[in-house]
Amino acid sequence: MDFLNKLYSGMKPIGHTFVFELKKQWKKFIAFSVITVGLVLLASWLPYAFFPGNAMPEIQTEYFRTNQTFLSFILIFANCFFFSGIICSEYDKQTGFILFPKINKYKLIIGKYIGNYALVMGITGVFYFTLGLLGLYYYGGPLNFRFFQSFAMALLYILAVSSFITFFSSFMKKENITIITTILILLIAFNVITQFITLANPDFEPLFSLQYAGNLMSSILYLEFPDTVAERYFQITIRDFTIRTWNTPTIMAGISVLLIYTFFSFLFAAIIFKRRQL
Amino acid sequence: MKRISETIIKLENLSKHFGSLKAVDNINLEVKKGETIGLVGPNGAGKTTTIKMISTIMKPTSGKIFVQNKHGELQNLLTNDRNLVPRGFLIDIPSFYEMTPAQLLKYFAKLQHYPNDQIEDRMNKLLQLFNLYEWKYENVEDFSKGMKQKLGVIQAIIHDPDFIILDEPQTGLDPKARIDIRRFIRSLQKQGKTIFVASHLLHEISEICDKIALINHGQIIAFDTIENLEINLKTNELVFQTLSEITPDKLKTIIDNLTMEFDPYLDKDLDPKISKIPVSYNIKEKEFTIYYDGKRESRAELLKILVNKFPELNIISFSQPRTSQLERIYEQLIGAEAQNEMNRRRFN
Repeated sequence: MDFLNKLYSGMKPIGHTFVFELKKQWKKFIAFSVITVGLVLLASWLPYAFFPGNAMPEIQTEYFRTNQTFLSFILIFANCFFFSGIICSEYDKQTGFILFPKINKYKLIIGKYIGNYALVMGITGVFYFTLGLLGLYYYGGPLNFRFFQSFAMALLYILAVSSFITFFSSFMKKENITIITTILILLIAFNVITQFITLANPDFEPLFSLQYAGNLMSSILYLEFPDTVAERYFQITIRDFTIRTWNTPTIMAGISVLLIYTFFSFLFAAIIFKRRQL
Repeated sequence: MKRISETIIKLENLSKHFGSLKAVDNINLEVKKGETIGLVGPNGAGKTTTIKMISTIMKPTSGKIFVQNKHGELQNLLTNDRNLVPRGFLIDIPSFYEMTPAQLLKYFAKLQHYPNDQIEDRMNKLLQLFNLYEWKYENVEDFSKGMKQKLGVIQAIIHDPDFIILDEPQTGLDPKARIDIRRFIRSLQKQGKTIFVASHLLHEISEICDKIALINHGQIIAFDTIENLEINLKTNELVFQTLSEITPDKLKTIIDNLTMEFDPYLDKDLDPKISKIPVSYNIKEKEFTIYYDGKRESRAELLKILVNKFPELNIISFSQPRTSQLERIYEQLIGAEAQNEMNRRRFN
């Protein structure tokens, strides 16, 4: 009982920070949610409502899969905007001078992390909810179970990307620079490196790339998941030159990559954060 | 009468080095319950670094920090920071999240385990006291530097701590706000709170502190009451003001007569850098300045002489200006330390 009381008392600051973080980021959350709804409607409703020539996919899951275009962009931007300042802003703005004597710095970051994760999860929820409603409108119910698996994969993807950004935030000085750097890495650097490597060795599967692992969010919507290696890439051969584009990792490999990123990003962030002083 | 008996914080051989720079160098300091201590030093002397270490924001390179726990025992802060007496901090110029004071203060109070049902009341009282009540629901980003500083003081005391540490609390404040803060610190003193104030503003410190710790190059070069520090002064100053201005034709005679009557008590080795004559007059301020030997008995005698032998001067005030005294103590000690440092280097 005493242990439980201590645990509850120890968790309280995390709870207070979680609630405070929700209030602090509320406007950002609303803005992202509105943009998300707008983008889903733009990609998944507008083309069919105003351009009847556009053929609808035959089945519900295919409709969901083809309309996930904006999801990874939304998630990368949301993660970068919500998590980039999670550590560095306390140092840059020196808000830590007020907070750290009051609260253990790890508890502060845990509270902030959970708060921001909940908000980005909320934005993801808004995406899937809007897309789900459109799916029901066009194809009727119920929603295919794959749709929920895709949502679960998105939550895992957020976990990996947010921890990766938290790692950058642990040593970067300014929030804005962290936002720009992580967006560049997640949107461009991973893709460019993947292109170079697959050009040099087409058999090398880019499992180092968070972006590639994130493709599971849409590929899991295939009713028959492409399990063989040959099914998981697309390639064109011009004379003796082969250009291969890897579409998706296997489910196990993708989940493992996301979990490994999460674990090591948190580990390195914690080590750096421990040594960082105001 | 203030009861000063228990030690609330004790710094033991505390040091913080940044590479070869000794920001804080082997500091020893003890603060008793109910005392108000001023940590005075020039910019870069090590004040904020010391406070950051006390607030556990920064780890010392070596040394120990003991803080009283809730059972009245001293506890090593660096090994166990639980169950200590409630402490409040204002470090440097506070920077807040861009939210309203109501949101921020509620969060800070909750983090400090202040009873939920009393937060609103406590917050309102403090906001009113510092004239920020009408800004309660305004975003802090619209606040001036002085308003943020006031909010910083409020956040430091929102949970009604026993031990309050304020780093440059007067920074960025207008004169009215400075008076408010000084008045508030006095009211905290009356409540028996222990206060540790770091500042480079000597007059502010001299107005409110029981004891002063002079810090320079990371070392405490003196720690005592202002009165005790004054004993070491080469000269001491007294000021008295006259009701009306003394005309130049009478001035020389009056100064001569005053010098003659005061002679036994005047400073015989007056430093010419301070003043060439022991009794002088400032026409604009209608104020006489006397450089005397610093003894309390002498001060009493000087007052007696003035009242009995110079009634025509119509004296309206007679005081020892603490600020200028403190400035001189400060100058003297810093100067002596610089000289020692030079000798040390020469010797090495």
